[in-house]
Amino acid sequence: MIQFQFITAFLLIVLGIYAFLAKRNLIKLILALDIIDSGIHLLLISLGYRIELNEVPTAPIYTGYETLKSPMVGPLPQALVLTSIVIGVCVLSLAMALTINAYRHYGTLDVRALRRLRG
Amino acid sequence: MNGEAILPYLIIIPLFGAFSMPIVSLIGRKAREAWAVIISGATLAVASALFYSVWEDRGIIVYTLGAKSPLGQGVSFPIRIVWEVDLFGAIMVLMVALVSFLAVVYSLGYMKHDTGLDKYYTLIIVLELGMLGIAITGDLFNFYVFLEIMSIASYALVAFRNDTWEGIEAGIKYMFVGSIASSFILLGIALLYGQYGTLTMSYLAVKLAQNPTVTAKVALALFIAGLLFKSGASPVHMWLADAHPAAPSSISAMLSGLVIKVGGVYALARLLFSIYSPLAYKALRAYGYPYINMNTVGWAIIIFACLTLIIGNAMAVIQTDMKRLLAYSSVGQIGYILLGLGIGLAAYGSHTGEVALAGAIYHTFNHALMKALLFLIAGVVIHELGTRDLNELSGLAKTMPKTTFAFLIGAAAIIGMPPLNGFASKWLIYESSAIFNPILGAIAIIGTAFCTAAYVRVLYTFFGRPSERVMKAKDPEASMLWPIIILAVAIVIMGLFPWQISEKVMLPAAKALEDQLAYISAVLGGA
Repeated sequence: MIQFQFITAFLLIVLGIYAFLAKRNLIKLILALDIIDSGIHLLLISLGYRIELNEVPTAPIYTGYETLKSPMVGPLPQALVLTSIVIGVCVLSLAMALTINAYRHYGTLDVRALRRLRG
Repeated sequence: MNGEAILPYLIIIPLFGAFSMPIVSLIGRKAREAWAVIISGATLAVASALFYSVWEDRGIIVYTLGAKSPLGQGVSFPIRIVWEVDLFGAIMVLMVALVSFLAVVYSLGYMKHDTGLDKYYTLIIVLELGMLGIAITGDLFNFYVFLEIMSIASYALVAFRNDTWEGIEAGIKYMFVGSIASSFILLGIALLYGQYGTLTMSYLAVKLAQNPTVTAKVALALFIAGLLFKSGASPVHMWLADAHPAAPSSISAMLSGLVIKVGGVYALARLLFSIYSPLAYKALRAYGYPYINMNTVGWAIIIFACLTLIIGNAMAVIQTDMKRLLAYSSVGQIGYILLGLGIGLAAYGSHTGEVALAGAIYHTFNHALMKALLFLIAGVVIHELGTRDLNELSGLAKTMPKTTFAFLIGAAAIIGMPPLNGFASKWLIYESSAIFNPILGAIAIIGTAFCTAAYVRVLYTFFGRPSERVMKAKDPEASMLWPIIILAVAIVIMGLFPWQISEKVMLPAAKALEDQLAYISAVLGGA
């Protein structure tokens, strides 16, 4: 079975890096950062979800796990992704706040205008 | 003293202090300032006790979150988050707590005229917390979380003065570069998890030695790329030269003195020596098993280091902005630290490698003190004169004698003059690089020549003919002067006992970093 989630994750990361390098609008750059992060999150979640011996794993809920027939997915990547999403929101909101401030000072969202510091 | 019992307070105290800061601020200005000093002072006390305890019994402190043992019930591998402190980590903890405390005390006077100070003190303590966490963690997941705590706090602090375009522009540049670097590191962590199914550093090291795959190599490349970004190595140092001068000076001192080292070089050293290990490489190669060639990795780091130390120091010479000069000088000094690290990796197992590693650790500590001192002095100059353009600062020695004298000490130490602390650490790096490969030794000396030129230029300006502008200046108030005096005295005292410190602290720290087996068995223990 082709594991489409890995291909999607790879495409998201590459797309994000392309957008980060090619785009000039600050908001598009922030979106690019978020797309890269989403790709990595998808990769992590897919790594935790392994179909072995044709058994579909279930959610990692430990209460009453003795009665469970099928295996569980790894809880660690899910915890990591949840944390990473929260961190991503922090970075995103800070980036937007800075972008608003940059617009006030420079009157544009073009990243090429942010070139007053040099030397 | 029981190091394991006090280790959690290293995180609890700043975490509690940071998030209670807005509430304490409601009482008033004095309460807020007192609270910031108390919290960072208490953290410094815990850090000193921890350092002493680790140094005294030369062991590794392991603390497991939420249980007595890191191992899971009925299984023989660790499933919990562990904190693991060896002597190298303890030195970093002490360095972070000391410089952060002085930066907080300095902020009392320096930030007096700014608004939003409750947020400022919250962020500065969160920044300290992130760095302490990186220094003590033994788990990659935990490492990533602390790295991001540190990074987000520093992005916000660089852009703290959001009424100036400079802070905003530098903050945006720093944030984009830093976020991309963090994404690289997260991708590396994801690949390692996918391959080995664990994120505990010591268990990962075992798994990696058993089965070094291509995935692990790709992850290593991503880690090195991300962490070199974060440490400001050439050719990706451009954000550093923008971000460090734009921040308030107390923050510049922390960014240049601590963040690029703990979040960059320390993390890199931990990954390269404790997870991907040159020890496993030697052993696997000797018996003909597949291996990851750490020698090549060491040489790659040496090449980046040489580039960094030449470009950083050379760019420092031509700057006219005082803080920008100091920022470029930081890039140059990171080059020396990376050079020591690279030689330590490439010459692993020999005495040269150990000396180089000790020199790198020693220089990390020394540079934190020196660069913090110099940035705090730059802050005093800005505070008194409102400019940091070197062309307007001529003759400062007349009106600000104490400040200029402290700058003289800092500059002489960073160049590597004998009676000061920079001499010993730079000497260890020169010596080992010259033994390892004479060309590297020559490059290191050329870097120092540029460094000397840059600082002599500043001193020449300070001792020149007084301009009208500097006649009104005077030495700063006590809260700004004392941190400077303490740092200058620390530099002189450390300079008086260079070889004792190197023998008693830095060489054992290098040995602790090299001894991967002890690092692994401290967690896995009886398993």
